[in-house]
Amino acid sequence: MKALWGRVSARPEFITLGLIVLLVLGVSLLEPRFFSPQNLVATIRTTTRLGIFALGVLLVLAAGGIDVSFTAIGVFALYTTTTLTLMFFPTAPFALMLIVSMTLGALMGLLNGFMVWRFAVPSLIVTIGTQYLFTGFLKTFVGTKHIMDIPAAMDSSGTASLLQFSTADGVRVTLPLLFLVLVVTAVLTHLLLTRTLMGRAVFAVGGSSAIAGRLGFSVRTVQLFVFGTAGLIAGLGGMVHGSLNRLANPSDLVGTELDVIAAVVLGGARVSGGSGTVIGALLGVVLVVLINNSLILIGVPSTWQKVVIGGVILVASGVFSKRSGA
Amino acid sequence: MTPSPTPSPTTPRADALLRLEGISKTFGGVKALNNVSLELQAGRVYHLLGENGSGKSTLIKIIAGAQPPDAGQIIVRGQSYNQLGALEAIRAGIETVYQDLSLFPNLSVAENVALTTQLDLNGGQLARMLDWGKVKRIAIKALERVGLPTHAGFLAAPVETLPIAVRQLVAIARGIAARASLVIMDEPTAALTQREVENLLLIISSLREEGVSVLFVSHKLEEVFRIGGSVIVLRDGVKVLDGALSDYDETKISFVMTGKQLDQTTYRTGQPQSEVLLEVSNLARGTAFADVSFALHRGEVLGITGLLDSGRNELALALSGVHPATSGEVRLEGSAVQIRNPRDAISLGLGYVPEDRLTEGLFLTKPIRENTVVTVIDTLLKGIQLNFAAMTAKAVGFVKDLQIATPSVDLPVSSLSGGNQQRVMVARWLATKPKVLMLHGPTAGVDVGSKDALYKLVQRLAEGGMGVIIVSDDLPELLMNTDRILVMKKGRIAKEFTTADLEKDLLTQTLLSEDSSAQQ
Ligand SMILES: Nc1ncnc2c1ncn2[C@@H]1O[C@H](COP(=O)(O)OP(=O)(O)OP(=O)(O)O)[C@@H](O)[C@H]1O
Ligand SMILES: [Mg+2]
Repeated sequence: MKALWGRVSARPEFITLGLIVLLVLGVSLLEPRFFSPQNLVATIRTTTRLGIFALGVLLVLAAGGIDVSFTAIGVFALYTTTTLTLMFFPTAPFALMLIVSMTLGALMGLLNGFMVWRFAVPSLIVTIGTQYLFTGFLKTFVGTKHIMDIPAAMDSSGTASLLQFSTADGVRVTLPLLFLVLVVTAVLTHLLLTRTLMGRAVFAVGGSSAIAGRLGFSVRTVQLFVFGTAGLIAGLGGMVHGSLNRLANPSDLVGTELDVIAAVVLGGARVSGGSGTVIGALLGVVLVVLINNSLILIGVPSTWQKVVIGGVILVASGVFSKRSGA
Repeated sequence: MTPSPTPSPTTPRADALLRLEGISKTFGGVKALNNVSLELQAGRVYHLLGENGSGKSTLIKIIAGAQPPDAGQIIVRGQSYNQLGALEAIRAGIETVYQDLSLFPNLSVAENVALTTQLDLNGGQLARMLDWGKVKRIAIKALERVGLPTHAGFLAAPVETLPIAVRQLVAIARGIAARASLVIMDEPTAALTQREVENLLLIISSLREEGVSVLFVSHKLEEVFRIGGSVIVLRDGVKVLDGALSDYDETKISFVMTGKQLDQTTYRTGQPQSEVLLEVSNLARGTAFADVSFALHRGEVLGITGLLDSGRNELALALSGVHPATSGEVRLEGSAVQIRNPRDAISLGLGYVPEDRLTEGLFLTKPIRENTVVTVIDTLLKGIQLNFAAMTAKAVGFVKDLQIATPSVDLPVSSLSGGNQQRVMVARWLATKPKVLMLHGPTAGVDVGSKDALYKLVQRLAEGGMGVIIVSDDLPELLMNTDRILVMKKGRIAKEFTTADLEKDLLTQTLLSEDSSAQQ
């Protein structure tokens, strides 16, 4: 028992996995439709959209910061890229659009990183500011209308399938190709965090930036890198989000950042920084998505979903905080 | 030899590893360092001595590139700098074991030991793959040298889960992991027990043989003289002595450091009374210790010592209610008492000054006043309001009594030097007027002058009828202050000595004997 607890407390994502198993078992007893292919694919679609953002959030949390501007960056990059493509190069390939969107995202992220480093202001304050700044700029200078008529490459990439089949009752189910974007980004982020000196420097700065500086780590480089990369990932996430929904809406996403941050924290990343894993963050996202899906399935009103997620966070943070006191 | 970009007026001696010229540093009116110049040669051991707050750590941080000086030059192998960057210092072969350890609490032991060697290897560039195999190999080698385990579980353990003495060894392992030309150790022995200290002394002499210089800080002059080498003494930020240790003895060095004649060989003044104050019978806790029985008389000073795994820490924590005993009996003034938590201990009159002041007690960012009176805050109320004047008066009283060096009790504890922080911790428990006062490593990191003051205070308290227990690794401290000494081994009391005619060597032997197999 003690050994088991030791193992679990060293790998908090086990707790997240345990919660997911419990939830799946519980809900499938109440509602057999839970195990339907449609529900599975719906879960994967939502996980793809939130999961990409979660990877950026994880990076920032690991380095001891917090970023609430990533949704604004995602929407800004999505909407601006879509607008630019329609204006100048409507037949642009999807890859080019991704590059533009990610570059825009990275630039905005670098601005966050620069301000956090230069003015030594808590990143929460900086990113609250830039969230307003980016959203305001987007709506004032780029546009406010929904774009339903998205560029052709975006449309086809959004609907392209990785796997397609019909269920027994004749419903066609499609697993989107863009799911692969999440897989690739997750693998890269995992390698970055665990196999590179930069990755370890991120955790070192998250543990204590004063100590990191004193031991020769460049805290400025780490902060610029972390926020820049988080911005780049947000640009990617925004584009994937828009393609999957086949819509570029300048009022989208902003307001949902806490869902993603909560998911990453549920995956074992401490808000105080210096911890977290890619696997944990993704499990956290799956948990949040499953809670939302299953509550709808078993007929719980959507307002209650927030209550449940809040409750799960409180319980999980209780469990997680116990491990550090060991 | 690289030509120096800003040529200095005096030509550097070819063999100087490091020179400081006119280094000064001021913190808000306090001159921590005042025009300090010195020169370190390769392959030598230097002892940097001085009272608490004399500027030792500040000087070290400047050499290590953790803090810039306000004025002066740092010359490393002929190359002169106005200030060193942390990375520059490391690349110049300067490795530092900081007084506050500077370990990453969230990272593993292996990473804490070896990550900076990788950073150094890549010239500070972060866009590099990490060779985990190499990190582990380097870590294992360094951990072996300091006598820590090297199995996978320990390598992967986050440092925040380790006890303070083990953390100190991890920090030392980091200091010697790289091929350095100068290893700086700021009070590395303050948290270590005899066995680790012996090992560290071996490490230092082998570094010296390899041609590596060591800058060593300790308040235990006994260690300093055993290591030997050169000595540099700071007093109020000014260098007052720079020479060969062999020209001095402990009394002379203490005099240079403090300006006071400290030649006392014993402090014990009173006699224990006949009444038994505290009686412990067959106390046990899990695998930590068992069968512990002893009595403490009114007015007695009892010493308890033992190695890291001897159970003496756990015994102290059990008596203070932090980790209560699981069986056995404790009687105070004749009646059986229960110590289930620290609050029980406090209300019974068992005061406990913990070993690790940073994690077990002080509120670093809060004023000295609040830190001092926090244990008796309920007696300092005026109606429902805190009686601020009374708090200040009480705190100022203790600052005087214990000679805590501070201009004002309004300042945060973090502004004090290490030894002065320790005194705030002692003051806090004296404020509760305990019947029994347990001091755990009371002078770890405390300078000779303040030790003197603290010892005199302990004797005064004992004469007033208090029972005092000192749990310590500092054998001279126990010999000078106690009536009896208990030596613990493997969770039991292995030996009891009457202090009066005990030889230090016998105590050391008892402590270290039959112990080679017990290494982790
Ligand atoms: N960051 C700081 N802010 C304000 N004052 C400081 C700071 N660092 C050091 N000081 C002050 O500078 C003086 C020298 O401190 P330092 O830590 O160098 O002493 P020390 O010789 O290492 O003492 P100890 O033996 O207690 O470790 C002290 O008066 C201390 O209070
Ligand atoms: Mg110091």
